[in-house]
Amino acid sequence: MSTAATDSVLIEQQLAVQSIRRFLKSKTSYDVLPVSYRLIVMDTSLLVKKSLNILLQNNIVSAPLWDSNTSKFAGLLTSSDFINVIQYYFSNPDKFELVDKLQLDGLKDIERAIGVRPLDTGSIHPFKPLYDACCKMIESRSRRIPLIDQDEETHREIVVSVLTQYRILKFVALNCRETRHLRRPIGELGIITEGKLLSCNMHTPVIDVIQLLTQGGVSSVPIVDEQCRLVNVYEAVDVLGLIKGGMYNDLSLSVGEALMRRPDDFEGVYTCTKNDKLFTIMDTIRKSRVHRFFVVDEQGLLTGVLTLSDILKYILFEEN
Amino acid sequence: MGNTHSKRAMSENMKDVSMVDVSSAEDEDKKGSQRAIVQSFSKLDIGDHGSSGAPLMRRRSTLIFDDEDESPRHEENVGDQADLNEFGGPSSESSSSASVFHQRQQQTPPAQGSETPAPESPRVMVPVEITWQQGGSKVYVTGSFTGWRKMIGLVPVADQPGVFHIKLQLPPGTHRFRFIVDNELRFSDYLATATDQMGNFVNYLEISPQDSQQQLQQQQQQQQQQPLQYPQQPQQSQPQEQPQHPANYPPRSRHAEAGTEPLSARSKLALQIEEEPDDMGDGYSRFHGGAEATPAYSYTTDIPAVFTDSSVMEQYYLTLDQQQNNQQSMAWLTPPQLPPHLENVILNNYSNSSDPGGSGSENNSGALPIPNHVVLNHLATSSIKHNTLCVASIVRYKRKYATQILYSPLQ
Repeated sequence: MSTAATDSVLIEQQLAVQSIRRFLKSKTSYDVLPVSYRLIVMDTSLLVKKSLNILLQNNIVSAPLWDSNTSKFAGLLTSSDFINVIQYYFSNPDKFELVDKLQLDGLKDIERAIGVRPLDTGSIHPFKPLYDACCKMIESRSRRIPLIDQDEETHREIVVSVLTQYRILKFVALNCRETRHLRRPIGELGIITEGKLLSCNMHTPVIDVIQLLTQGGVSSVPIVDEQCRLVNVYEAVDVLGLIKGGMYNDLSLSVGEALMRRPDDFEGVYTCTKNDKLFTIMDTIRKSRVHRFFVVDEQGLLTGVLTLSDILKYILFEEN
Repeated sequence: MGNTHSKRAMSENMKDVSMVDVSSAEDEDKKGSQRAIVQSFSKLDIGDHGSSGAPLMRRRSTLIFDDEDESPRHEENVGDQADLNEFGGPSSESSSSASVFHQRQQQTPPAQGSETPAPESPRVMVPVEITWQQGGSKVYVTGSFTGWRKMIGLVPVADQPGVFHIKLQLPPGTHRFRFIVDNELRFSDYLATATDQMGNFVNYLEISPQDSQQQLQQQQQQQQQQPLQYPQQPQQSQPQEQPQHPANYPPRSRHAEAGTEPLSARSKLALQIEEEPDDMGDGYSRFHGGAEATPAYSYTTDIPAVFTDSSVMEQYYLTLDQQQNNQQSMAWLTPPQLPPHLENVILNNYSNSSDPGGSGSENNSGALPIPNHVVLNHLATSSIKHNTLCVASIVRYKRKYATQILYSPLQ
């Protein structure tokens, strides 16, 4: 490739990112909502094990919580809450009664007991620019942000919806023509997390993998073989299937066995190479529900990971 | 929204009507032939009313099923004055029975379902102006109203470069659309936006029942005042409306009595909006300036005879009963358990559509069909399972609809 052609790719990518950023600034979170949509909300007095069933039934992995005593939004229920409960129960096996009768508003006590930092319950008004919502998500290291408004008459909070990083990136991929100009190899962009990745093998006990998830503050742990080739991945959302039916006693399983509990419609593990273009990545996001790409080399050896927040950060803050 | 057009057209039509009133037989003769043509349209329309792509015709032909055997005769006698005279009698009858037919429809809406609610009902069209103001040289609009297949060209506005517009006749409901500007699919930054089920960003616009009700009334008035066409629109208006010139046209005043019975314009309309927004797409048409004459209308305090005269009322119910031949008789005696609109729960629709083929995972924004406005602010519940109560309610959030489902334990 001649230098002139390379230069034009560079410039095109820069202009495209700036244009996408302008797009994110010109649209609000409200714009992204469909004309009619559903939102599943859970009362904080609901039992944790019931909330799990409701998530699985509705094929969702997170839901906003509602405190009916104060008529206020009470944070998001996510897979990390269930991970906390698992860890608590693992170190306190005598507390089965407590875990069984645990309500959603008791999750804070669990957090305190195992000493994890409570998750940020940051929210944003639906009429704030999408760009602000993205920045807030990046700041709080969360993958989703609730949209909260106030009722004009009663001044009570309204949970309008919840936006995820995936939804915003898919929205960009679907609706920004500029993504087709993102033709620089991702290896050049410095957005891949490389180096020593947390990983495990098929025989690692699932409880250790769950601990890796919380220690590393990551949403997935890659599973590799002896040669460090990528074979599978254990995701935070997989714990929902693991403890389905309130079973917290299967924690001695290996991660390989735990993966058998995965629903049949599992999307698979997405990989890419350093030479893939961001356009290809965005196109995959548009077509499939993918939450991260593992970067592999020609031999299939795991070399890095590209998460949705890496992509989002690049679009929000780079190429100035 | 073409209101000025309508008003001008209105007054024109008023003139036209008074002219008809004093008109010679020859004049009527002409109208007679016009009417006969319309009549033949109505016949054609009955043939394939399900998939008709000609909403204008359908609107005129409305629901004259009982008229079917009658219409060929009129067809043959185009321009025949004798026929015209004979005409007043039988056709006003047919209009009243058609109304009855419609009433029955309303009583059994679950069978009618949301798929094809009252396909015979007149298509109420609302003129809508769609404007593109972000440049380009060739601008088209495509959307749910054309099934996303057809593109409709926009016309450049003379003194404003980069501005294009088109007037469309659209049925009430929510329409989604995008623009094709120089072969590029785009959306307007100046119109309301939302994502569809797949996550595509589209413009949308909601044609409110008010707009269409106005339009409906105007249409009714218009037809009411064109006496030679009145048999074609039996679901006549609200009770307080009355023909302007009853004296010259005795059949019409009879018609006013017969016609006011069945459905108020409002409930008819509600039936219409029950349609799926996408299904409404089949009937769009270009807007023809003043061609749609819309006369003025007036109110009256007269109560229709069906409510006051017990013999008329009895006759009405007897007719109703006779009409029930293919359904269980006396069905009109039992009121529906629920207002029909409330039985169409979009949440049920969602779970059905998400089951097959994994479309549920595609639809990760939780997009639902557009709800009928009648179901807003109602509380729906599921049966209590495992001590958990699930309630849902659809509310407006600004210009969108949020369906909140709250799970809570029984205390």
